[in-house]
Amino acid sequence: MALSGLEIYKLLPQTNCKDCDYPTCLAFAMKLAAKQASLSDCPHVSEEAKAKLEAASAPPITLVEIKAEGGEVKVGNETVVFRHEKTFYHKPGLFWRLRDTEDLEELKRKVADADAYHVDYVGIDLYLDGFAIEAVSGDPETFKNAISAILSISKKPLILIASTSDIAKAGLEGSDGSRPLLYAADGENWETMVEVAKQGDVPLAVRADTLDELADLTQKIKAAGVEEMVLDPGVHHYLDSLQQLTTLRRLALKKTFRPLGYPIITFPGANEEVDETLLAAEHITKYGGLIVLEEFNPASLYALLVLRQNIYTDPQKPIQVQPGVYEINSPDENSPLMVTTNFSITYFSIANEVDGSGWPGWLLVTDAEGMSVLTAWAAGKFDAERIAKDAKTFNVEEKVSHRKLIIPGHVAVLSGELEEEMPGWEIMVGPREAVDINSYLKAMWTK
Amino acid sequence: MAVEIPKEKWTSAVREVTLGATSDEGGTRSHTITVGGETALPFLHFEGETPNRPILALDVRSHKPEDWSPLLRQTWGKAMEDPATWAQAAEEAGADMIYLVLSLTTTDGEPNTPENARAVVRKVLEATGLPLAVVGPGQAEVDNELIVAVAEEAVGERLLLGLCEEKNYRTIVAAALAHNHLVQSKTPMDVNLSKQLVILINDMGMPLERIVMDPTTGALGYGIEYGFSVMERLRLAALQGDKMTQQPMIVNPGEEAWRVKEAKVGEGVPENWGEWERRALDWEALTATTLVHSGADILVLRHPETLRRVRAVIDDLIGPKSAA
Amino acid sequence: MTNHQVRLQPSNIIVEVPTGTLISEVIHLAGIDISQPCGGQGRCGRCAVILDDESGVRRRSTIRLSAEDLEDGYALACQTVIEGDVTISIPEQERIERRLVTDKSARKVELPFAYDPVTMQSVQAFQIHLSPPTMQDNIDDLSRLQKALADRGYSPIDIPLNVLRRLGTVFRDAKWSPWIVIETPTPPPGPARLIDISVEPIRPIGLALDIGTTTVTAYMVDLTTGQVLNSAAEYNDQINRGEDVISRIIYAEKKDLNELGVLVRQTIDTLLERLKLRTGIPPQGIHKVTVSGNTTMIHLFLGLPPASIRLTPYIPAANDPQSYLAAELALGVNPHASVYCLPGVASYVGADISAGVLACGLADSEVLTLFIDVGTNGETVLGTREWMVTCACSAGPAFEGAGVVDGMRATEGAIEEVWIHSETYEPTIRVIGGAKPRGICGSGLISLLSELFVTGVVDRAGNVKLDLDTPRVRQGEHGPEYIVAWSDETETERDIVLTKVDVNNLMRAKAAIYAGFTVLAESVGVELNDAKQVLVGGAFGQYINVENAIKIGLLPDLPWDRFHFLGNTSVLGSYMALLSHDAFEHTREIAQRMTYIELSADNTFYDAFTAALFLPHTEISRFPSVADIWDQEKRD
Repeated sequence: MALSGLEIYKLLPQTNCKDCDYPTCLAFAMKLAAKQASLSDCPHVSEEAKAKLEAASAPPITLVEIKAEGGEVKVGNETVVFRHEKTFYHKPGLFWRLRDTEDLEELKRKVADADAYHVDYVGIDLYLDGFAIEAVSGDPETFKNAISAILSISKKPLILIASTSDIAKAGLEGSDGSRPLLYAADGENWETMVEVAKQGDVPLAVRADTLDELADLTQKIKAAGVEEMVLDPGVHHYLDSLQQLTTLRRLALKKTFRPLGYPIITFPGANEEVDETLLAAEHITKYGGLIVLEEFNPASLYALLVLRQNIYTDPQKPIQVQPGVYEINSPDENSPLMVTTNFSITYFSIANEVDGSGWPGWLLVTDAEGMSVLTAWAAGKFDAERIAKDAKTFNVEEKVSHRKLIIPGHVAVLSGELEEEMPGWEIMVGPREAVDINSYLKAMWTK
Repeated sequence: MAVEIPKEKWTSAVREVTLGATSDEGGTRSHTITVGGETALPFLHFEGETPNRPILALDVRSHKPEDWSPLLRQTWGKAMEDPATWAQAAEEAGADMIYLVLSLTTTDGEPNTPENARAVVRKVLEATGLPLAVVGPGQAEVDNELIVAVAEEAVGERLLLGLCEEKNYRTIVAAALAHNHLVQSKTPMDVNLSKQLVILINDMGMPLERIVMDPTTGALGYGIEYGFSVMERLRLAALQGDKMTQQPMIVNPGEEAWRVKEAKVGEGVPENWGEWERRALDWEALTATTLVHSGADILVLRHPETLRRVRAVIDDLIGPKSAA
Repeated sequence: MTNHQVRLQPSNIIVEVPTGTLISEVIHLAGIDISQPCGGQGRCGRCAVILDDESGVRRRSTIRLSAEDLEDGYALACQTVIEGDVTISIPEQERIERRLVTDKSARKVELPFAYDPVTMQSVQAFQIHLSPPTMQDNIDDLSRLQKALADRGYSPIDIPLNVLRRLGTVFRDAKWSPWIVIETPTPPPGPARLIDISVEPIRPIGLALDIGTTTVTAYMVDLTTGQVLNSAAEYNDQINRGEDVISRIIYAEKKDLNELGVLVRQTIDTLLERLKLRTGIPPQGIHKVTVSGNTTMIHLFLGLPPASIRLTPYIPAANDPQSYLAAELALGVNPHASVYCLPGVASYVGADISAGVLACGLADSEVLTLFIDVGTNGETVLGTREWMVTCACSAGPAFEGAGVVDGMRATEGAIEEVWIHSETYEPTIRVIGGAKPRGICGSGLISLLSELFVTGVVDRAGNVKLDLDTPRVRQGEHGPEYIVAWSDETETERDIVLTKVDVNNLMRAKAAIYAGFTVLAESVGVELNDAKQVLVGGAFGQYINVENAIKIGLLPDLPWDRFHFLGNTSVLGSYMALLSHDAFEHTREIAQRMTYIELSADNTFYDAFTAALFLPHTEISRFPSVADIWDQEKRD
């Protein structure tokens, strides 16, 4: 179980020596509890305390790493069941499943298309994480060739799907220089698969139909010397996925059940009866670690990548909206222009108020690092310079033909400086409360 | 080895709320629909009951919305010209409920009037036997005026009336109280605010059995994670016994998804966004199913294809027992 | 750029300025001082002037002015720019109310501990007997003094030049038995320092200061007995350059750091004059000074640039400055007196809090103790003798009567308590001094909000219910409002009201303070209910009515006997540090032991704040005593 800051503090020397670079032992203890500091920063901690603290901090879900020249995918190490409790850390990897029976040129074309797939979402580059290549042929050489073909086009990480150790071994040879995931060990082949995984120092997926069998297998495999594993609980529908994956997450975190403390791989398109995109979405939301897609469709992949980005956003950060110029009630060049910060609650209260008032308007939302108007002003994140800069960045001059900018009443003090920063503009001081926007516009804005 | 399935022990349940009233109950609906009643986190049937499935409503406007995406206008076609026809089409498309939004202006651009609102609601009630929600255009004064008239016109129908917001709830709640309706309490994505408005409405004497809470959500890519987590937190609090969070939750993924560029616009977007219609439908469907997982009891949608896809997901999640 | 002629009345001064100049700048150029309590932010309306002609100016903001005011030609000097020739009348400035509750209620301050000047006090005064020089014993005056002091253990010793200049005269006038004041270094080594010499007997005197954002408080202390001879309090003259620390920091950054130092010294001089009148002891007779105050106030007092305090990562120039000579600081006491600033913890938890913790005894407490300093910054400390955590949140000045339409300080004419009839909604009020009311002070606001809530005039979110059947609620100019007193009952002949915006300000202030200490408790994993003592400090603390403060959710719902009101704990800590060097060292140690929790680091504070932004709180189960009353009212 995780210890609280005060519990950890009691195990520390309590000398406030500052050798850890924190001002007090309690401050350090609280950082440790939040997993934002490392115990090794304290040179004075006793061996006994160290043992206790380390036992409490070992990650309950093992971190698994798949690598290739062009990137890496890390999954595991999650610490919570619900994202609001802390955050989800390692985004599930999205892979596209290909088969070695495909014509090599066709295979290369597919890989090239998918490899080139990039979309920009609020400045973040989103893309497919890698490819899963399946040895449908059953022939080691064919498998190896298919892998070489993929690697000749793409440097993305791979998942090698092979049912026997011979084929797996050939696959590893073909993907030399990278660290793919080997899929999968099962009740039949695990002993030989373990040998291949150990030899290649690669993580190993483990497949079984029930959690009982899965737990048996992982224990045996761990005893045989493989640390990094990925679980395939064999789920095919919305309900069994939700229940199995939730159970696995809870077992790992709430029961610290080590045999099932590994990330999970799923194949949402394996069952033709289900809507692959919607099941993949469920796996992103509810505890999937590696998600292997049957279909590569840019529209659906974009939606899934955005969902993944959203769900794995740190909820502890202040809720922000994207800076920019927002349109409310279809404004035109004569509509009023207001400015506020990008703290979501501030933004929403103003946007809703303007929306509800029926006034068409432009709302310039500046980057104030998610702070409210007064807080941002106090911290120097919402001053004349920044407002002027964002007004320029977001081209407000092209949106409106007038030159009037309404600022929040709380920062009336900025009006003078802003007029200096934005020559030719008239700065109007708006109301202090969003509720008064309608009456303010009625009184002050002439259409 | 035998792995023991960890189960949470919840002490409380989501409140059951029944929408609509049949002729026996003083209304004219062909049947009523009950939502809520869960005693477990969404669909974890091994630790509690989900007696009522999440229901799917379709968004119908009193006047044809010219700003809707062409994809939606194509799909609904002429039905959009008349709210009664539209409601019928929605029922045929499989909606469990009609979510009727009164427009700010009529088709001629004249301001909507109480008389007109009465007539529209009367027509829709006659056109469909489904339970009905009626909400105003979202401007406090107009909302109050229209909804008070609607409440009176449809006395006894147990309509879901809205939108009640912290700055403007007293008039609508009073009208719903007087004429035996339910209310939708809408708050901006915050656990405390959701709870506070339920308290305020309840303090006016409105029984909790007649309040559905709308915690608000963002579309996929536009803040869905905030709505998602707020809903998860509300549901956890409800199951743990926090009385004022035990209302069933209504969300509007249709409205949210279809107002964003990804769904609305087909041209001038990056090539890798893929095919427009598929993207738009995925956008609405993913927004909806993600919220199903965070505990939504009523989802308001816009596209009949989304309704079909989301229903298939819910059918599976609810399990063989309840699906029958 | 075009210039315009601006004529200022009644002084009839003409100033020529370019287009776009603010009226407040024009007035400043003319050498006239006007009050700007909000720091020129257009928030307070105190700088209103009258225009003879609208065409020469442009109003950027008209907040705080009514339609009537505008018709009469009023404009805010800080929000109106010159665009043509114009004549401006500056109305007689209403003097800021000068009478302070802390002065009014001044009572004898008890010695905080058994005082032994010999072992505790660094400053000593005594008479020495020198043998007069002769032809044989012909060493110089200085050597004679050094030798005599060395015999008493003071060697080496620093003797300032202007004391040296007076040695000869004083020695001879005193017939070789002068009085001297010496400060011993604490701790040694280092030379002792001669502060003063005199023919007449000298009493060693100290001054304990608390420089508050709003109020400066001084204790004059006899360092022999340890007794407070007299105390005085005065508004900080910096108020006219901004009423909160942020406004002052920005003023220092953008306008004039030095001026703020001048202003606070001016306030201290006023206090010294008053103390002189009451005790006969002149400022020159003060030999030692200790200063407490928040980090910004200490920076401005020492002339340290405060800019970095408000910017991430919020690092002050110094948390624990050294001691300096009064002369260096241009402080009007004996120029050789040492001035000790108490140590602070962080940018937003200053020496006032270390001093407060010292004074309230938390740092030595065996039981879990919560210390709340209710002020413009709501600082909280939670802990025991083993550990302490602290945080600060911006509560705003609402509880001091500022930022509220009819708010005022707790002086004559302030409504200090309100009762509302639960059926008619008619109020009964109590006014300080018993005269006609002029406004509502902090305790009155707490009482009023609590009554409005309990009687259901406002809902639990603080919305005024306009549908109630009473003339006491109406849609006012600033939104819905409740009328506390009709114009014919008031001194000002205007209705005294509480508006929805005022309620919002009060709710935010109480929610910030409540959220601060709940997050603090959560951050270390203890329950608030486990706090065995709740110590409330701040000049305002003496006037909180616990029952009302709990009802609105400002203070936690704990048994009343756990609450203790300590008044101004900052000056008390400063006083203790003045008496005893060990106490001073203890504040240093306290400051180092306190762990500062940055509330803006994640969403926890915001969540707690939103939950507290309700009457009394979203979870009424946290306030069982209020829940009982509430259920009762709802049944009725």
